Amino acid sequence: MRLFRLLWVFLRVGVMGEAAYPANFLAHLIDSVLELATALAGLALIFAHTSTLAGWRPDELVALVGVYFLVGGVIGLVIQPGMEQLTESVRDGTLDFTLTKPEDAQLLVSVWRVEIWKVVDVGLGLVVLGIGLARLGARVGAAEAAAFAAALVAGGIIVYSFWLILATTAFWLVRVENILVIFQSVYEAGRWPVSIYPGWLRFALTFLVPVAFAITVPAQALAGRLTWPVLGGAALLAAVFFLAARLFWLAGIRHYSGASS
Amino acid sequence: MRGLGDLYLQQLKTGLATMLQYRGSLVIWLIGNVLEPLIYLVVWSTVSRSTGGTVGGYGARDFAAYYIVLMLVNQVTFSWVMYEFDYRIREGTFSADLLHPLHPIHADIAENLSSKAVSLPFMIAAAAGLSVVFHPVFRLSPLAAAAFVPALVLAFLVRFLVDWTVALAAFWTTRVSAINQIHYMAVLFFSGQIAPLAVLPRPLQVAANILPFRWTVGFPVELLLGRVTGPRILAGFAVQGAWLLAGALLVRYVWRASVKRYSAVGA
Amino acid sequence: MGRFHEDSRYTGNVGAEPVIRVRDLKKTYVTSEREPGLRAALASLVRRRKSYVQAVDGISFDLEAGEMVGFLGPNGAGKTTTLKMLSGLLHPTSGEIAVLSFVPARRERAFLRQITLVMGQRNQLVWDIPAADTFELNRAIYRIPAADYRRTLDELVALLEIGPLLGKPVRNLSLGERMKCEIAASLLHRPTVVFLDEPTIGLDVTMQRRIRAFIAEYNRRHGATVLLTSHYMADVEALAKRVLVIHHGRLLFDGELAALVERFTAHKTIAVRLRDCAADLGAYGEVVSCEDGLTTLRVPKAETARVTSRILADLPVIDLTVEDPPIEDVIEQVFTRGAA
Repeated sequence: MRLFRLLWVFLRVGVMGEAAYPANFLAHLIDSVLELATALAGLALIFAHTSTLAGWRPDELVALVGVYFLVGGVIGLVIQPGMEQLTESVRDGTLDFTLTKPEDAQLLVSVWRVEIWKVVDVGLGLVVLGIGLARLGARVGAAEAAAFAAALVAGGIIVYSFWLILATTAFWLVRVENILVIFQSVYEAGRWPVSIYPGWLRFALTFLVPVAFAITVPAQALAGRLTWPVLGGAALLAAVFFLAARLFWLAGIRHYSGASS
Repeated sequence: MRGLGDLYLQQLKTGLATMLQYRGSLVIWLIGNVLEPLIYLVVWSTVSRSTGGTVGGYGARDFAAYYIVLMLVNQVTFSWVMYEFDYRIREGTFSADLLHPLHPIHADIAENLSSKAVSLPFMIAAAAGLSVVFHPVFRLSPLAAAAFVPALVLAFLVRFLVDWTVALAAFWTTRVSAINQIHYMAVLFFSGQIAPLAVLPRPLQVAANILPFRWTVGFPVELLLGRVTGPRILAGFAVQGAWLLAGALLVRYVWRASVKRYSAVGA
Repeated sequence: MGRFHEDSRYTGNVGAEPVIRVRDLKKTYVTSEREPGLRAALASLVRRRKSYVQAVDGISFDLEAGEMVGFLGPNGAGKTTTLKMLSGLLHPTSGEIAVLSFVPARRERAFLRQITLVMGQRNQLVWDIPAADTFELNRAIYRIPAADYRRTLDELVALLEIGPLLGKPVRNLSLGERMKCEIAASLLHRPTVVFLDEPTIGLDVTMQRRIRAFIAEYNRRHGATVLLTSHYMADVEALAKRVLVIHHGRLLFDGELAALVERFTAHKTIAVRLRDCAADLGAYGEVVSCEDGLTTLRVPKAETARVTSRILADLPVIDLTVEDPPIEDVIEQVFTRGAA
């Protein structure tokens, strides 16, 4: 599919861009490992005092941390860099080049930047996920795995659409880089199952900054507590968000091209 | 001394103007500074509720009180010099700063305070909001309130001096991010942010008393909440004073060595 | 002042559909004006004061296949805006545009595959990686078959002499080298219409000449239609027989460069070489300068022959030449008269 072909091309370019800086890779590895250590140490601290956290058991929370790093890694790998580049391109006008290419501009801006060293986060996430799964053992069957995959995909689409909507505001606002930082600040809340938060915060983390769908819901699938309504809701929300993002993007392009005036 | 006062006043004005300019980033930042203690507040309250009792002497509402106060104390004492230094050295703007007659730390302190002058009202409002939601329980005593202010001032100074010294690492290595990350972890664990220190296992508590981080955030918080009493308060002040001295000496000597290195390497 | 139109059919393809067709094109920008200060900022939330900028004010022209045309005008004249409308980046406020029978604003894939846009002040090359990698990106985006890509790349590399530059990260290249790679990147898909927006801006004279030579050669070999904007006269002189002069969004002149000079100059320049500068030639015409015996005189066009013969008769002339005034002066004339 066209998406994957282009993603592959930009990925190769991303690798080559970073290959000049091997020291960076080590630095990022250290950073990510330290971050992971902090997260796991936090868990250890908590489970020294209790055996469950809002009904979540230690191995389930370990799996959740794994999802947190995995999804965070994917976001940092291709979604975030692309959207940051987009806001810059709108500002300095290099978006013009993208708009004269015979390819859907939204597709191009979604895959055009790959921060390759973020695969470290993805890798660490998978490792931790593996550890959590191993401890969860037989309780994760084919149904749970399928639900997990579906929830992950739905969550990914929601997160992507959210980022695109945020970045598209650059067509109207001038200084927008800071808006993207909102997601990073709020994402941290996703290291814990969203159900522990009071209602209003849970709502914000589900529908305003969709952290719940990105992390908690897939983790719920692994823990075997994902219900059909929630998974269905996630899929529905994914479709709605994606469509909304697409329409907003098209409106942004029209505005940029002075079509509305 | 007049020069110092002028500097601080000037910096306050420009800092305020800059902050108003970058309103957007300010709001984003504030969200982050509220969210982090909030997350731990919720986590630990949940833990204490699931045990049905207290954790380390803290019940759910005690955790609420702790983290709300922590949020404010952290806001007053924190700094971002590590990131600034890295930028300054890479961009080469430090050469200009070195020519100033005043020690550059003063400009940084002034900048720090001026930005907080703007953000603090919002944080206090956030604290009030969180209090409404989480029903914290405060056991304030006039002694605690009186001792809190000097403890806070000392905490700010100790934290700033330590942060500034760590920031100087930028002169010595390009692996600044790893150092910053380790520093951040140490702050997280030993200043009472990831959990009140009473909740930590014993060895970590001992380490926390030796390292400066407890004295930069945790101590004033615990003091205000009445968890440090009597002679312990005085002992705490003593340790803060010791770290203040140590910090000042560190800044002095590491700074000198760093400048020498910077000039040798070529500005 | 009215518009000056010359008959403009140079490729002899009379009767064929022009590659670019522009009729009464207009573009108005709407901006909200606001004074600085907090009070004004708050006021603007309530009442938006709009101001209209007429960037392009009704221009019309045709371009035939293979023509190379220069779009000349000072900054803010509307050249870039017109170019953006031709490439589909901007929607016109009114008027018609057809490029290769497409409406550019629709940005159809088939249209975009046949055009290219090069902007002198901006790069499409990815900064941290060698230019060759950006070429690969474009190859994937334009879906260029491997054999065609090889052939086109080899030709561009040879013509632009960028072989040794391809492996270097773009940020390590000089401005001129970057521009050459930029041009190569934009031609990989063999577009039939090439839009160049100030391609030589900021480059040194040698590089400017090289790039002009390349563009001329490319046009000759491939018959691509080239529209070039510039505020450098030298670009237009070297490349375009036909020039469109635009100012304040209006087309002031459309025709051969020579005709432009012819119509707009009232003077000629006579350069007289004598032994020294002792003699004052003020009687013959306006003395512009005198250096090392070379006197430069400005005389009204009609007087040229008469003054020349008088000088030759009266003075011990070592050498004498009659020249058109520098083109810049001519253009100045066009602008000042056109603005009136």
